[in-house]
Parts: sequence; C-alpha cells; structure tokens
Amino acid sequence: MQNRLRELREREGLSQGELALRLEVSRQTVNALETGKYDPSLPLAFRIARLFGTRIEDVFLPDQA
Amino acid sequence: MTLRRFMWIFVAIAVGAFALALLGRFVLAWPDRVVGMWTGIGIGYLLGALLFLLTPRWWRQHCDEMYAQPAGRRYLRVLWPALVGYSLALFASIWLLKQGIASVPLRALVAVLPVLPLALMMGAGLRYLREIDELQRRIETEAIGIGSLLVSLLYFAGGLLQKAKVVDLDAAMAMIWVFPLLCAVYGIAKMVLTRRYL
Repeated sequence: MQNRLRELREREGLSQGELALRLEVSRQTVNALETGKYDPSLPLAFRIARLFGTRIEDVFLPDQA
Repeated sequence: MTLRRFMWIFVAIAVGAFALALLGRFVLAWPDRVVGMWTGIGIGYLLGALLFLLTPRWWRQHCDEMYAQPAGRRYLRVLWPALVGYSLALFASIWLLKQGIASVPLRALVAVLPVLPLALMMGAGLRYLREIDELQRRIETEAIGIGSLLVSLLYFAGGLLQKAKVVDLDAAMAMIWVFPLLCAVYGIAKMVLTRRYL
C-alpha cells in the first residue's frame, strides 16, 4: 500500500522521531510506514489521519491491481 | 543504556573477575578450582563484551532506540537484576547440590532455584511484548514463532534419532539446552526480521 506519510510529516516540519513520539510508536515503525514496508493496523491508520487532520484515504492509497 | 555501555560494563566485570583470580592465586592462596572459576567468569564476560563489539552498527542503533523507549527501559530494569539473580541462584544451586542434600523435596527445590529469576525475566518479556508498538510486536512474535518451530523440529528429530539408537544424548543436558537454543534462534530471527523493515 502506498502512502503520503513522508509528505505530510515534512509539511508539518516533523522529524521521524518526533512523529514517532506523537504516534507512540518507534522511529523504525515510522520509517517502515513511510517506505511502504509495513502497512499499519486500522487503529494506527486512524491515529495518523487524525494527527494530520485528514481522512485515512487521503494518507493511504491502495495499490492498483 | 546503550549497547556500548553494556559492553564496557561487561569489560569492567571481566577485569574484576581476573583481578580476583590473580588475588586468589598469588595473595590469598585460594584452591585452583576457585581461581579457575573466577578466570572462567572473566573469560565469559570478555566474550560477552566481544559479542557487543562485533554487533553491526544498524543493530546497535536499533537496540539503543528500542531500549530508550519506556517499554524497553521497564524491561531492562527487570532484565539485569533477573540475570544477576539467575547467575547467583545457579552458582548457589550447583554448590549446594555438590555438598549433597539427602531430602528429595529440598533437593528438588534447590535444583530448580535458577528457574525463579528466569520466570521473572519471562514475565518482563511478556509485558514488554504487550507494551511495544504493533510492528515491533509483529517482529517479536514472528521471531518467537520461528524459534519455537525450529527448536521443536530439532528436538523432534533428535528424539527420533535417540529412539532409533543413532545418537545417545544425556536427557538432562538435552532439556537444559531447550531454553538457550530458543533464545539463540529467536535472537538471530529477530535480527533478520528487523533488517527487513529498516
């Protein structure tokens, strides 16, 4: 699954570590999310969307089949 | 607490153990057995320090980050006292058993003494597993799963070979090695899985 997490984070001027702190996850998890190596659970996806004041579908984009 | 700091703590313990061995050998006239024990402890800790030194930088950084988090700090707060307790309990248990204990229930109690600090450590491990984030929990559970499956397979094959009289292993040693083997395979699996998400 693709996502706009890095773009949103950089727009807010946050480092990976700062975002990790706000989401209560590790920096490695933020990095894995940004690089598309890990797809988050629904609760974490909601937390991310809420943090950036947007909807889940505006952050996470399904892969085209 | 970083892995580098752990390495220096191990070096300090090793130097202390070697100093005690030298003191025992040349000043206090300790028996060779006791001097050998402290030398062995020193060598063990030195090997541990070498292991810390040889770990790849990415793994050190990952561990330092994980153990700087609240869940990691809570885990370490239990881990180190539990490991020291385990070493002391193991030492006391072996020494007491060598002296000979006639009562079977008391002998059983003394023999399983080292299990108690390990149970404490496992409890802390389970708490750590519940407290870390979902990706780390996935890595941990997958590594524990791989460790359990591989060690089970190894022991199943070993059991069949023993039954077929191909090998003749000491049952006590085989049982004692289950946990260290699990830890070793879990550790290697965790490194490989962590690398996948970096």
